[in-house]
Amino acid sequence: MDYVLHLLTIVGIYVILAVSLNLLAGYTGLLSVAHAALFGVGAYTAALLSLHFHMPLLLNLILAVTACAVVGVVVGLPSLRVHEDFFVVATLGLQVLTVTIFNNWTAITGGPAGLPGIPQPTVFGLTITSHVQFLVLTGVFAVLAITVVKRLVGSPLGRVLKAVREDEVFAQSLGKNVARYKLQMFVIGGALTALAGVLYAHYLTFIDPTSFTVQESIFMLAIVIVGGSGSIAGSVVGAAVLVSLPEALRFLGLPSAVAANVRQILYGALLVICMMFRPQGILGEFAFRKR
Amino acid sequence: MVAVLEISNVSKTFDGVKAVDGLSVAVEEQRIVGLIGPNGAGKTTLFNLVCGFLPSDRGNIVFRGRSVSGMGPHRIARLGIGRTFQDLRLLRKVTVLENVMLAFQHQAGEGVLHALAGWKTKREEQRNLERARSLLEFVGLADKASGLAEALSYGQQKLLTLACCLAMDAELLLLDEPVAGIEPETSRRILDLLQELRTGGKTIFLIEHNLEAVRAISDFVVVMDEGRKIAEGTPGAVMQDPAVLEAYLT
Repeated sequence: MDYVLHLLTIVGIYVILAVSLNLLAGYTGLLSVAHAALFGVGAYTAALLSLHFHMPLLLNLILAVTACAVVGVVVGLPSLRVHEDFFVVATLGLQVLTVTIFNNWTAITGGPAGLPGIPQPTVFGLTITSHVQFLVLTGVFAVLAITVVKRLVGSPLGRVLKAVREDEVFAQSLGKNVARYKLQMFVIGGALTALAGVLYAHYLTFIDPTSFTVQESIFMLAIVIVGGSGSIAGSVVGAAVLVSLPEALRFLGLPSAVAANVRQILYGALLVICMMFRPQGILGEFAFRKR
Repeated sequence: MVAVLEISNVSKTFDGVKAVDGLSVAVEEQRIVGLIGPNGAGKTTLFNLVCGFLPSDRGNIVFRGRSVSGMGPHRIARLGIGRTFQDLRLLRKVTVLENVMLAFQHQAGEGVLHALAGWKTKREEQRNLERARSLLEFVGLADKASGLAEALSYGQQKLLTLACCLAMDAELLLLDEPVAGIEPETSRRILDLLQELRTGGKTIFLIEHNLEAVRAISDFVVVMDEGRKIAEGTPGAVMQDPAVLEAYLT
């Protein structure tokens, strides 16, 4: 039973990550591969604050959201300067840079050894310890992230985001400040990743840089693409499928060394199959494409 | 007559080629001004300079007494310059109605906080929906409103881009080939609409290769060749100008 609760909690964390990335990549057309870096900033901020200052979850969250929003701006700024392929490369650079900092700023981040012993969070005096409590907390955060993204994309603002994705020049010719909208989405997308980061750090009680590498960013993009870019339900389904898929492999009784490789092969194969037979993803309405 | 748009001595060079070379044009209020010239004369480049999609190297562009040189395209659009593109820019995977609704200015619901909280947006959307429908009615696309823009014919797409310009409530419309390459019936409808808009107070500056159309509706014609203005005046006079005839023949 605990195993199922654990799995659902991890799925919930990835739902938050996928939904926030979908806001950027799916709805606004900003194909960022720095999402894991933002996730990491949120996780490290929460871990450090609770390790050194024993802050309650809510305060941790506010500061982690702020930190991620600021880093979101930093990641977003190149998007105002460069386009398409170059933008992907710019976010890749920032992704690698962030992990390098996690790895080398040993005094703060613990370097490759990471940060162990992160305390369990307290919410209004209640310490979250059991799997059920964590799952409830994750559910609340995931619903919050989904609500924010849903409201944004379903509003007149969502129409502008579509225009930014489909044809920036057209959007500008209609008086839309494309640069401002992009930056705003980076701030919001970044702030939402903090929700996942905080949960992750407190839930695992240990973080190290390997959880926030470019492979993780690509995994998040895979969830968005396989689930369906521009579809919130797609991101939820995508997270559930891609997170549980390797778990299913466990029951095949493969040795762990083999299982890890099979997992990567499976993701790769799934992406290729998706691109070939259903480029719009499981629930998406339009194909993910480069302009 | 008041000039809505004054282009003074504007130049733009691409890799040593003078696309626009010391050009001056005044577009007067409530007129239809045609911009003609052979391919590569620099007409679209001039539009891009006016709309801020390209920075000019030299010269000044003044709209309603205000210099717009160096301003970003969205700011210029907000001042009241609407623009259509030769390669027909619109959101093809989105409904015709939504394309028009996108074009309205000052939408509270386009702000993050309003979008999140839903303040005012519902009533605003309802009002914009009605406005969009009446604009589509005006250009004759009312029955296509809920279909995707990509389902429209080429000519209908041009009508839609015109409707978007009107939704912006722009005072000056820069139209890049509004009737080129479309069926005669739609073409006639667009030309009628443009004249109606002028009567209603709009100023129209248009690029068009269909000289018959330009002759029929323009109050004033400017001819460009190799980045320079080679003639201007009434359509009748300009089209008999030897310099113009030579530019078109060679």
